[in-house]
Amino acid sequence: MAASVDERLAQTFVELADTLVAGFDLMEFLHTLTERCVELLDVDAAGLLLADGRGALRLVAASTEQARVAELFQIQNDEGPCVDCFRSGQAVIIGDISAGDVATRWPRFGPAALEMGFAGVHAIPMRLRDQVIGTLNLFRRAPRGLDQHVARAARALVDVATIGILQERAIRQQELVATQLQAALHSRVMIEQAKGVLAERHQVTPDEAFLILRRYARNHNRPLTALAGDVIQGTADISPGSQATTRPAPHDEPENSPGPEATSGPHS
Amino acid sequence: MGERSVKVWAWIAAAHDGDAPVTIATLCRTAVLRLGVDGASVTAVSGLVAREPVFASDEVSARLEEFQFTTGEGPGADDFWFGSPMLIPELDSVTVRWPGFVSAAVEASARAVFSFPLQAGAIQVGVLSLYRARPGPLGAEELADALVFADIALQLLLDVSSGLVESPDYQPLDGVPGAQAEVHQATGMISVQLDVSLEEAFVRLRAHAFANGAALGDVAGDVVRRRLRFGPGSAPGSGR
Repeated sequence: MAASVDERLAQTFVELADTLVAGFDLMEFLHTLTERCVELLDVDAAGLLLADGRGALRLVAASTEQARVAELFQIQNDEGPCVDCFRSGQAVIIGDISAGDVATRWPRFGPAALEMGFAGVHAIPMRLRDQVIGTLNLFRRAPRGLDQHVARAARALVDVATIGILQERAIRQQELVATQLQAALHSRVMIEQAKGVLAERHQVTPDEAFLILRRYARNHNRPLTALAGDVIQGTADISPGSQATTRPAPHDEPENSPGPEATSGPHS
Repeated sequence: MGERSVKVWAWIAAAHDGDAPVTIATLCRTAVLRLGVDGASVTAVSGLVAREPVFASDEVSARLEEFQFTTGEGPGADDFWFGSPMLIPELDSVTVRWPGFVSAAVEASARAVFSFPLQAGAIQVGVLSLYRARPGPLGAEELADALVFADIALQLLLDVSSGLVESPDYQPLDGVPGAQAEVHQATGMISVQLDVSLEEAFVRLRAHAFANGAALGDVAGDVVRRRLRFGPGSAPGSGR
């Protein structure tokens, strides 16, 4: 079991290292990384959160765009494994969130995670020297901690993510770290805006819109953020029926959405 | 809204004349007071070319903005929109890149310059520029505070254009970054519903929330779940 994780890990590093050279697309890289986390670490969802420079953690990439899971990553503003991990700089590994005093420790996040069917909750710090720049958040349905090999693999994947974001060897100064983190967060906002534009144009949910966007980006070899810009400008012609070369993984299937409804007046 | 945002907004609110709407001028003066810098200015940007100075706290700031505007050279100038601030603690480091800007800055006794794009994704409305006579980086706390000043400046610029700042209980903090992803998704959806720019869509979303006394995130959630739709011809403040 351990050997096969190591082999697959090595394969993943080769794959990811290839993407770090010419034509590097940060957003695509981070999304792929979260997907590899799900496969290699035997978890059900993975999310990468970055410090926004103002004291909060923000989600920049996740293995699934399902809104309810994304929200579970994002509600960890004041409490949750990610906040604890970020503040302490230590990994937070909770094998079973329904056991012990977790509900008292995280009165909002705990019940929300349980309601989503997650028992195992882990957060691994993303570090640059003494600084924690974000966290990798993992959710697992089955109650189980992270064994040693898996934890080691998780830390290795987190380091790869950090390098991807910061091009570590070139970073000497706080200014460069801050600006590169802001650039990553900016890219995410552009992608969210493009999701909205596509969702409305094609009358799909934002999660479905992301799949459309990503498939198109891969099929046309276009970086995600640049494509998002094109969508927003109206210069990308994306139809929902574009041929996909890869099937979405099961956890990527969008949740059911209500059809468009007529409104009855302004929300109050 | 985070503690830091509340703190920075309190600084700005304390600095302005109680009855008048909060202005960019107040924001800039507060930034100078709190960030260990000597000057602050905001320039509004429309598209790639049109730039309009909004406020400069002092002569040096005004001159630096003017220089960048006329030459297109410098941290706040045209090729700036990479989604991150431009932090230059020592002007020497950019002499090769922006020779004209560096000599203009040195002549004006500015040795450190920090530029913050006022933007949310593809919505780009301006630049907040800070300078200091003494070289050296912004402190970590100052940098974090400056990012919040930029967030608030973005909201202020948008809300001035829509008239929201005139309202008595106006405060721009609802919807500063840290906002849910749904706010950005809703902005995209509304831009298609109304066939307007993202910036206009964002202004309309905010105006609707404000007019209805609703939290921006809640309204955005309704838009994303298609419980609320912005139709063409609807007036600002209404969702239909």
